[in-house]
Amino acid sequence: MWRRLRPWWFPLGLLLLLELHLRSLAAGSDSLAPPIAALRAFAGAARDGSLWQATLFTLGAAASGLAVAAALAIPLGITLGLSPRASRLSALSIELLRPIPSVALIPLAMLVFGFGLRMETSVVAFASFWPMLILTRAAVSQVEPRLLEVSQVLALSPWQRGLKIVLPAIVPRLFVALRLGVAVSLVVAVTVEIAANPNGMGYAMMIAQQSLDPALMLAWLGWIGVVGYAINLAALMLQQRVARAMGAAE
Amino acid sequence: MALPAEQAALATSAAPAQPLLCFDGVGIHLGGREILSPTSFEVTRGEFVCIVGPSGCGKTTLLRAATGLVRCSAGQVRRHGRPVTQPSREVAFVFQDYGRALLPWRTVQGNVGLALEAAGVAAPKRPARIAAVLDKVGLGAHAHKFPAQLSGGMQQRVQIARCLAQQPELLMMDEPFGALDALTRHSLQDEVARLVQHEGLTVLFVTHDLEEAIYLGDRVIALQSNPGPGRPSLARTIEVPIPRPRDQLTTKEHSDFLRLRRELFAFIEQGH
Repeated sequence: MWRRLRPWWFPLGLLLLLELHLRSLAAGSDSLAPPIAALRAFAGAARDGSLWQATLFTLGAAASGLAVAAALAIPLGITLGLSPRASRLSALSIELLRPIPSVALIPLAMLVFGFGLRMETSVVAFASFWPMLILTRAAVSQVEPRLLEVSQVLALSPWQRGLKIVLPAIVPRLFVALRLGVAVSLVVAVTVEIAANPNGMGYAMMIAQQSLDPALMLAWLGWIGVVGYAINLAALMLQQRVARAMGAAE
Repeated sequence: MALPAEQAALATSAAPAQPLLCFDGVGIHLGGREILSPTSFEVTRGEFVCIVGPSGCGKTTLLRAATGLVRCSAGQVRRHGRPVTQPSREVAFVFQDYGRALLPWRTVQGNVGLALEAAGVAAPKRPARIAAVLDKVGLGAHAHKFPAQLSGGMQQRVQIARCLAQQPELLMMDEPFGALDALTRHSLQDEVARLVQHEGLTVLFVTHDLEEAIYLGDRVIALQSNPGPGRPSLARTIEVPIPRPRDQLTTKEHSDFLRLRRELFAFIEQGH
């Protein structure tokens, strides 16, 4: 029991120090608020519903961006993994596009889509597309070559080969790709909201900062951390469960 | 005008005349190295042909070329008179490494079913055919197990079952029992011999085990490595006149068996 609580001592101690510091030496600070005040602001946001609305928006944008990215990256990654020629021909384009910081796409996305969910979704999709494409391609190139020969001697169609041999063989690795995509998508969604999109958790945090309400701003910051932790943990558990079910726990 | 029945009779009586498989000066280079020097021989329908030779003599490559997995650099392989350019469902291939050739996420019946899915057999018809094939290889009780839950011999049976489910006319076997213990190997040899005779299959069987080649084959083809410029890889053909059904004890004491065994060993020992 005590052993399981041990990892909590350090963060709780830090919060306590911060609380003491802001109640004594730095009392009345305009830039920081004591944790207990942030907690109170958090409760206020939860009561008036703004917390849930902004959280749902951010998660929705991250999820739809991730879905778009997965729907494009997985089939394309499988194709590139199966065809060395396609992989060679696309290598330059991928290496040129991939390093573009996703935030640099915000002006373009804003011109095309205006403010709102679609703009945020498109930037999230761009950002999470690349790691998923690269990981899917790598996963396909690691499929047991003998199985591909089996599909050859059975004269499977390319479609059957992808669906019956390659896809099941890479499922455990696909979920690793998906977990990375989840982490990227949440970070990018919040970034887009801070930089441009007047919706979601990132924007709420910006508003709190601009209205000189450090307690509410810290409340959002803490909450974004908690949400990110929970989502990543869920994705990790899903990945491990799939890996175990597919008999490939490595 | 010949009636269809007469045509069929003509076709069957004419069948032995045309070889099922014809290797016509087949030579193969891979990565700038000559794996197989131009080699010619024929396989007739219903024949069990074993291919032996030292490692690196190109016997597996020969088998893969006949299946259409490898392209010939010289000459061609013809099946029913037509050049082999790609794999066909008429030709089944048993790989040596059964552990890698099975889908680990599918059960035994799922693995066998793959051949039926490939052939476009309708889903309702599959279970009966899968069950029939699994009974033939003695795996009827293990249909719902995964490959990882089976012994090596049983995994190889699954692969053989998948090949039988294809209903091929030609069965290619690439050292199928090389990784198995002696007892399992013997029982699988007998089962394959029985199945092949029962199904009327034509078999090309690669092995490095000379006794296995004589025990199973109607004919044994010995390949040599590095035959020298302009000479074929095919070094020797030996007919095996031992009657079937054969059996592990009496056949291996048969005078013909002992004579062929001595002949083949002596030949291989010469450094071919």
